[in-house]
Amino acid sequence: MVIPFGAVALLVIPMAVGIETTLLARIGPGLFWAVVLLFGVLVTQRESGAEGSPQRDLLTLLGVDPAARFAATAIANTILVLVFEVAVGAITIVLYDPDVVGWGWIALVLPLVAAGLAMLGTIAASVTTGLGGRGALAPLLIAPIAIPIMLGAAQATEGLRVGAGILRWVLVLAVVDVLLMLAGVLTARPLEES
Amino acid sequence: MTKRTLEFAAAGLLLTALVVGLTVPPDAVQGDFQRIMYAHVPSAWLAYLAFGITMIGSIAYLVTSKLRWDRLAGASAEVGVVFTGLALATGMIWGKPVWGVWWTWDARLVLTAAMFFVYLAYLALRRGIDGLERRAKRSALFGIVAALQIPIVHFSVVWWRGLHQPPTILRPDDPQIDGPLLFALLMGVFAFTVVYAALVRRRMDLALIEDSLVEASRAGEDVAGAAVTAPSVGAKPR
Amino acid sequence: MSDWGWVAFAYLVVYGSLGGYVASLVFRIRRARAEADRG
Repeated sequence: MVIPFGAVALLVIPMAVGIETTLLARIGPGLFWAVVLLFGVLVTQRESGAEGSPQRDLLTLLGVDPAARFAATAIANTILVLVFEVAVGAITIVLYDPDVVGWGWIALVLPLVAAGLAMLGTIAASVTTGLGGRGALAPLLIAPIAIPIMLGAAQATEGLRVGAGILRWVLVLAVVDVLLMLAGVLTARPLEES
Repeated sequence: MTKRTLEFAAAGLLLTALVVGLTVPPDAVQGDFQRIMYAHVPSAWLAYLAFGITMIGSIAYLVTSKLRWDRLAGASAEVGVVFTGLALATGMIWGKPVWGVWWTWDARLVLTAAMFFVYLAYLALRRGIDGLERRAKRSALFGIVAALQIPIVHFSVVWWRGLHQPPTILRPDDPQIDGPLLFALLMGVFAFTVVYAALVRRRMDLALIEDSLVEASRAGEDVAGAAVTAPSVGAKPR
Repeated sequence: MSDWGWVAFAYLVVYGSLGGYVASLVFRIRRARAEADRG
């Protein structure tokens, strides 16, 4: 139910800031990325079938490497976030009519962002397993650390719009993804054991 | 050094820094507003130092499994969030009369704000986890993941704001500062650092007492039903 | 507000917060010690 939630957010914002077409076209892409960051991570926080302690113990007994579990969960989450991005992206284009340039680069940026948020979400979920108030905690854990992902994405789309070089921002996204991959793999076993 | 000595030293140094800050001549450009910097810069320095110590404590815990390091990490984070908040507040109080706005999207302010939220997240995580080892391990791991990302947050924010730095002459830390003004600044940094050390020590004391309460209540728990209690040496089972 | 007004405001916030934090520490330590003595 996160896609409708993101859609409602996009609908509500012009009610708050005004509906002039130039304003909305200008802020549309940025708002899209903000919604992806803030709401998109929620799709990574759902309880998966392997979350409960008995299920995790079973997986361990079966010899499933925690790092492999992280990778599998991260990949699944990446797909979920990507779907979220596409759905919310379509809604943004409809409601805000932004100037979308450089579809090739966008096709690269979307999965890079999805992977980063997915990995962050997976790590946050395993750090908060079994805690009562997990709902509000994971997004707080993720949001400040995800700033480079959002900056990279927003600056990339803005750069494409004005025709500036965006390589450095794509690089930021790539570096973040690599770091998170390392972090996720290295922390998988200790987190499993706690 | 005993805790009392450290605390008296901290109080004395803080008082001295305050007096120095208020009595040195005003800055040539910023006038008396410069005095706010004598509290802002030390706060910002401590925000980063405390963060670093939390990271060191986290790594040390993961390596040694000694809870003392976890207490250090947690204490430094709590004291750190206070100083980070002060850095933000003083930055804003300086900015309003000087720049005319409470907030500018200056890279440094944005980074400090981001760090403030990372601290809050770390502290919220610690508060939510039961069990000392589990709390220590998970917050240490989260802390390290966060720390790994901070340099990237730094670069991405600096790149983002690269074209929009405020005029050099009105930037918060003036590199041309010298003489008595520099002394006031360094005095502040030194005093605040000692205050930080004293606060962290006391906060670790508190953590030790609270953690031992958690341990004590755990020792009283039934292990396998009411018929069996957890083994304890000497003390009568409850 | 005058220049010194802003400076005073800033210092009030800083020293007030530090004082408040120290007070909270003292209070929490006393409370924790009391509970430890009780148990």
